[in-house]
Amino acid sequence: MIPRLSRSVALLADKMVAVLRRAILTALRYPAGFALSALTHLAELAVFFFLARSIGAGYRPEGHDYFLFLLVGTGFYSFLLNGISAFLNLIQEAQTTGMLEVLMTTSTSPTVLVLLSAFASFLSSAFGMFLYLLGGAIFFGASLGAANPWSVLIVLLLSLVIVVGLGLIAAAVQLAIQRGSAILWAIGTATWMMTGTLFPVSALPGPLQWWARAFPLTQALTCMRAALLSGSSPGQLFPELAQLASGCLLLPLGWFAFDLALRSARRRGSLAYY
Amino acid sequence: MAFEAIILNAVSKRYRRGGSWLPWPHRELALTEPEWAVRDLSFRLAPGRILVLLGPNGSGKTTTLKMVSSILFPDEGSILVQGHDTVHEDQAVRQRVGFVLVHERSFFPRLTAEENLEFFAALEEVPRATRTRRVAESLALAGLNDASGKLVMKFSSGMTQRLGLARALLKRPPILLLDEPTRSLDPGSAEQFWHLVRALAQQGTTILLATHSFTEAAAVADEVAILQQGRMVHHDDRPSGRNSSSLRETYFRACGRIGNPLLDELDLAIGDGVDGPPEPPAASSSNSAPTGGPA
Repeated sequence: MIPRLSRSVALLADKMVAVLRRAILTALRYPAGFALSALTHLAELAVFFFLARSIGAGYRPEGHDYFLFLLVGTGFYSFLLNGISAFLNLIQEAQTTGMLEVLMTTSTSPTVLVLLSAFASFLSSAFGMFLYLLGGAIFFGASLGAANPWSVLIVLLLSLVIVVGLGLIAAAVQLAIQRGSAILWAIGTATWMMTGTLFPVSALPGPLQWWARAFPLTQALTCMRAALLSGSSPGQLFPELAQLASGCLLLPLGWFAFDLALRSARRRGSLAYY
Repeated sequence: MAFEAIILNAVSKRYRRGGSWLPWPHRELALTEPEWAVRDLSFRLAPGRILVLLGPNGSGKTTTLKMVSSILFPDEGSILVQGHDTVHEDQAVRQRVGFVLVHERSFFPRLTAEENLEFFAALEEVPRATRTRRVAESLALAGLNDASGKLVMKFSSGMTQRLGLARALLKRPPILLLDEPTRSLDPGSAEQFWHLVRALAQQGTTILLATHSFTEAAAVADEVAILQQGRMVHHDDRPSGRNSSSLRETYFRACGRIGNPLLDELDLAIGDGVDGPPEPPAASSSNSAPTGGPA
């Protein structure tokens, strides 16, 4: 039993290394893409910096400096959305190139394969978020010295689980009706408006505030701001973290939806449709 | 009874058009009858044999290969690959089947041939210790050892097709599925390819191959199954010699080419060149019923 388990873990780790290596090699061979992305993010940070300065230091949403509020909000929003879209992009691209059918013939289960590939995108997104925050600190004087690393780590991990669940649902919709981008658009718009990326949730009308707070990504963003900007400990954030953890139910739901959509596509013969 | 590598038992597959969720003005799309891609297909293939599925475009060849590989599930009937059901034991089936698909873009263009194969070797669970050697061997078998360090985006169609074969050989599959494998190959490469296919079969690999070229089928097949509109209209387990004439006629009839003197003459000339001198007829070598298979 134990040797079999350790062999499975070793195989999984080996596949993960292969997926990461492929992603890194591909990224290194698109050097212009990285430079352009960095420039775009710097320009975005400049816009937020001058926006916060023109509004004035007196405006402190949720008790934070407005530029820091925007920096963490938009950086974390991009991380979450890129994580969800990683699943969708993977399926869409594989459908258009014919890679999906090829991957379906390998000895690795399709769900594991999707998770591993999305994991590579997550690491890339996490690295992008780190650079974004670093850019804010270096070029615009943002101070993140009060951050509580344990809280940041816990929020990041819980958010990751939620994002995987939502990503698998988007991938399932793509397989089922080839319109997963519509789901992504809906999630992206809702996240942009309702989670308090640019302004606090308290600015929304009453009923929308209720919906916004029920959305797990809102909790993720609130907790991340508290962990990064106020240095709140896991104990202080316990009620919010507990609510965030309940969003992890999206993972089994997404897993089930993806498996169902995959089997249905194989039965309908629509696997390669796009 | 011999242990069969592949068994298809009354398999049918149809492609639904979808659209049942559409509003009323478009509902006629959903009400259209689904298209049958494969109807009531049965055959058995013994280990080390080469069965060629021969048929015109749209006859169900690729659909059959995809069902055997477990990419698609049959609507009716069942498929066993080395005793494993393709629907309920798809993981076991995938571990045993190598599939050369025709998609040219199914590689990572900014990786070299070697890097692509190393990635797929990891997914195929080739042990790390033997992976480099296995990749090199697969590239050599496909005639690509000189191009191992070349980016795939610089590959020609023929090279990409050969790389597809190298990928399918990575896991040393006991069963190999080939879909139009020489479509983009020049004549010399195609000939080498057929030698390789023969050698693999002699080593015990079971091969199921789809093509619309009668010449190719006659060159390599141990058995030929002619498909027409998803149905098997002829099965021949000794397609060479005198049988090839009747087989050819059956195939051209299936393609709707009988009656065009120019095409007939051209095809017969090509076919004679491939089949060589006629052989004496063998007893019970041809089955017109679609249930035949190797003994």
